[in-house]
Amino acid sequence: MSIDAVGFIPSATAQAIESKLPGSAVGTGTGTGAAPASGFGDWLASEIAQVNDKIQSADKKVQDLALGKASNLHDVMIALEDTKLSFQLMVQIRSRVLEAYQDILRMQV
Amino acid sequence: MDYLAAFAISGSGMTVEKMRLDVTAMNLANVNSSRGADGTMFQPLRVVSGVRTDPRFEAAMAAWGVQLGGAQVQQLVPTDAPPRMVLEPGHPDADSRGFVSYPGINPVAEMTNLITAVRTYEANVVALNAAKTMAQRALDIGGGGR
Repeated sequence: MSIDAVGFIPSATAQAIESKLPGSAVGTGTGTGAAPASGFGDWLASEIAQVNDKIQSADKKVQDLALGKASNLHDVMIALEDTKLSFQLMVQIRSRVLEAYQDILRMQV
Repeated sequence: MDYLAAFAISGSGMTVEKMRLDVTAMNLANVNSSRGADGTMFQPLRVVSGVRTDPRFEAAMAAWGVQLGGAQVQQLVPTDAPPRMVLEPGHPDADSRGFVSYPGINPVAEMTNLITAVRTYEANVVALNAAKTMAQRALDIGGGGR
């Protein structure tokens, strides 16, 4: 995966980004040893799974509040806000990915 | 994640102020309590709070050599206010001279505590909302030209 064409990304940053992606060729091996086929898709899937976990834990907190088990109200609200921000970030990533995909679809062959 | 640290810090401040409000409410509720279930007189309580270092925030502040974090309740100390003696002969808790001792609670000071706790809680909510607004503005970057 090379980002040479995009000159404005400093190569150190690009390397740092690539080393975080599982299964990238440049990555110096984060120890988990992901399959070579995995890439951005798997990373995105794991991030979405994390957002899903957050939503579920916020859901659990609201349930506890309704059952009278929550110790205080603001913890529940903070968890909800936190989840909302994570979800919004995920939606933004999704729209950027879709934009890129549509740009490629519109490309003249 | 540093916006989560801001949330955690404001949340800890809210927890402390909530505790302060609970304790003040307890003091106010016991203004006229002459004795508890175990026979001893209720002693008004005071919340002592202090800084709590938050590991999520430590990393961000380490570069400046400072350790910051949220707040936490350090201890609940009974005040040493002398009991309020009221002459009520015939009261079951009256002493030999007919005086009943009530907890030395100053309602004016307790109301001041109450207002301070509510205002500080509000300030924490405002700080948290500011952090949230900042994160949302960051998510607006590059999106739809707003």
